[in-house]
Amino acid sequence: MRYFAGIDIGSTAIKIAIVDENGDLVGHKISASGSMFYKYAKESLVDLLRSLDLKEEQVVYTVATGYGRKLFKEANEKISEITANAIGAKAAAKDECEIRTIINIGGQDSKAISIDNEGNVVNFAMNDRCAAGTGKFLDVVAMNLEIGVDELGKYHFMSQGTPLSINSTCAVFAESEIIGLLGNNHSIEDIVAGVHYSIAKRIIKLVKRVGIKDAIYFDGGPALNEGLVNAIENELSKEIYIPKHPQITTAFGAAILARESYGYLQNS
Amino acid sequence: MRTMRNRRKIETQMERQNRHKAMESVAVLDKLKNDFSKPLEAMNYFYDLFERVYCKRESLHDRSVKVGTLCIQVPYEIIYALDAVPVRLCNGFHTDDEIGSDFAPSKACPLVKATVGQFSSGNFVDRPDLVVSPTTCDQKSKAGAIIESMGYPIYDMEFPRTKESEESREYWRRSVRKFTKDLSKELGVKLTRSKLKKTIRRIGYAQYLYHRLNTLRKSDNPPILGVDMFLVTNAFFFDRLESWIEAVERLVEECAAKTEEESATYQNSPRIVYTGSPPIFPNLKIPLLIEQSDGLIVADETCSSNRMFNDMISVDEWFLYDMVDSISDKYLKGCTCPIFTKNSDRIRRIINLVKEYHAEGVVYQAFAGCQVYEMEQRSVLSAMEKEGIPILYLESDYSPSHLGQLTTRIEAFIESLKNRRRKKACAISQE
Repeated sequence: MRYFAGIDIGSTAIKIAIVDENGDLVGHKISASGSMFYKYAKESLVDLLRSLDLKEEQVVYTVATGYGRKLFKEANEKISEITANAIGAKAAAKDECEIRTIINIGGQDSKAISIDNEGNVVNFAMNDRCAAGTGKFLDVVAMNLEIGVDELGKYHFMSQGTPLSINSTCAVFAESEIIGLLGNNHSIEDIVAGVHYSIAKRIIKLVKRVGIKDAIYFDGGPALNEGLVNAIENELSKEIYIPKHPQITTAFGAAILARESYGYLQNS
Repeated sequence: MRTMRNRRKIETQMERQNRHKAMESVAVLDKLKNDFSKPLEAMNYFYDLFERVYCKRESLHDRSVKVGTLCIQVPYEIIYALDAVPVRLCNGFHTDDEIGSDFAPSKACPLVKATVGQFSSGNFVDRPDLVVSPTTCDQKSKAGAIIESMGYPIYDMEFPRTKESEESREYWRRSVRKFTKDLSKELGVKLTRSKLKKTIRRIGYAQYLYHRLNTLRKSDNPPILGVDMFLVTNAFFFDRLESWIEAVERLVEECAAKTEEESATYQNSPRIVYTGSPPIFPNLKIPLLIEQSDGLIVADETCSSNRMFNDMISVDEWFLYDMVDSISDKYLKGCTCPIFTKNSDRIRRIINLVKEYHAEGVVYQAFAGCQVYEMEQRSVLSAMEKEGIPILYLESDYSPSHLGQLTTRIEAFIESLKNRRRKKACAISQE
């Protein structure tokens, strides 16, 4: 059996997905990017293959994507995370719905991608170079509130009052806004809900730029935060599709592409 | 492949709009309550009122017939005298501004867009039974037609564009007489001499209370913040008249006592007169920035505040027709809206306010898209320059972003006023 790997080197995490000849996901791994992308990506791949009982030679084609893709020299091919994300999302949801819009929130940026019924990218929009409304922003918020980033969802649903507005578009200023709200004795729950709504509103603006078409897919680490999911659904008045492993959609897309490229090269 | 995440009910469009409004309201009320030292006890009524109406969505005029007004020029006296309640629907919500953007050009006035937005969503705490739209500025006149096309009953009240001529006075008097007759017919209520006299007196009393409160701001120890004052006058848009009067009576009492106190609260803050496009809750952005930057608004010249109360109705003979004509004169002659061809009254009033209230500078805000205020900027600026009054001109909209840049400009202006004060003090001591 031959296998194909997709490696997504992001600003915060390295995501690796392995698919088999049928294009089915056989394993994945998520590890921190740290300071040495290349070294950690390599180690992570070796670890994953060991845990799956696979030999390195069995992985016949590798596609790298993400912000650090150019650093991964061994890759047979490199593609942008936009293309990989579109392919991955379409494949991940193929049994349940046809994805036309993708929301991706990563560690340092957020994107909205519109795809046609064949999975081609029609249009996409990205936030400006700013951390507000990204995963990093959620990290900062959780740190300020002295709670874990994985607890944000829980606090969101415990909010009793009106979610508090966070107006600053800058993560640094938003931080001081949050400290101010804490100083005025507002509950952590209401602040968390406010943060989620402020991110949601910003994301919706991005999505509107590419056009909102059903079904909508949400991936990236923050998609694990149910509070944020709830805020986005409320702002959109629509249900959104959350995959089982929201963090690895792009790596999965790269792996599928690796399989296709390999097949194409074999045939031609 | 989908996770078994807990499915939660998704908000309806209306629920979402209400949440947005509550969020905007809380953000402003929170700053009013917490960012300033020495809050006034009597202000709590107003903080609660806005929270009740905009966060809890409590109706205030459940059983009354409500006449919505789209501008300050609709005579409240006549509506009250016909047993109905006037509710001014000029809107300050950013979320409604965004909704309204679908109906008006993107560069239109945010107040007009927000007003149209609210009508399009149909989301009212106290839904108006009839809407009166005076043909004051172009955008409001056109907004009336857009709102009508959404299925609301609109009454266009014709308003002249000049105010000096006898023709315009007569034109407007006829317009008010017609309005009185038509509204009386529409509501099926007869206007009587005693009722109209009573409401003129009652609103006159509300104006008197406002003037008493305002006069206290002339003191060396002004007792009330400008943002609080805007909240008080904004409440007059929709509050029950009698509750408003009671609350302001208490406020006047507390403020009067406060001016007597020895330690002045805002002694070091430069005194500012605010003019331009009307700050309407929750868009109190610029007044808030001024006072957060240690300025103090001691007086204003805006249609959401001072202009509603400034001029009293003067009646010669208490006959029905004389009263209606007196009302119409007050609404035309007292108006300093920049829609008029010439508007030297407004400049005179700003200069008077600066002198009477010992102000040290003027802040002039124009909504981006409000052409008349934008156009009148030049004449006001040059008049202030002639008088040696420092003035800051700002253009802004309802969007919460770009606060950083506005803050810097306002802070720099207030610092420059402080420097002037210091230099003046030095010059006096050297003499």
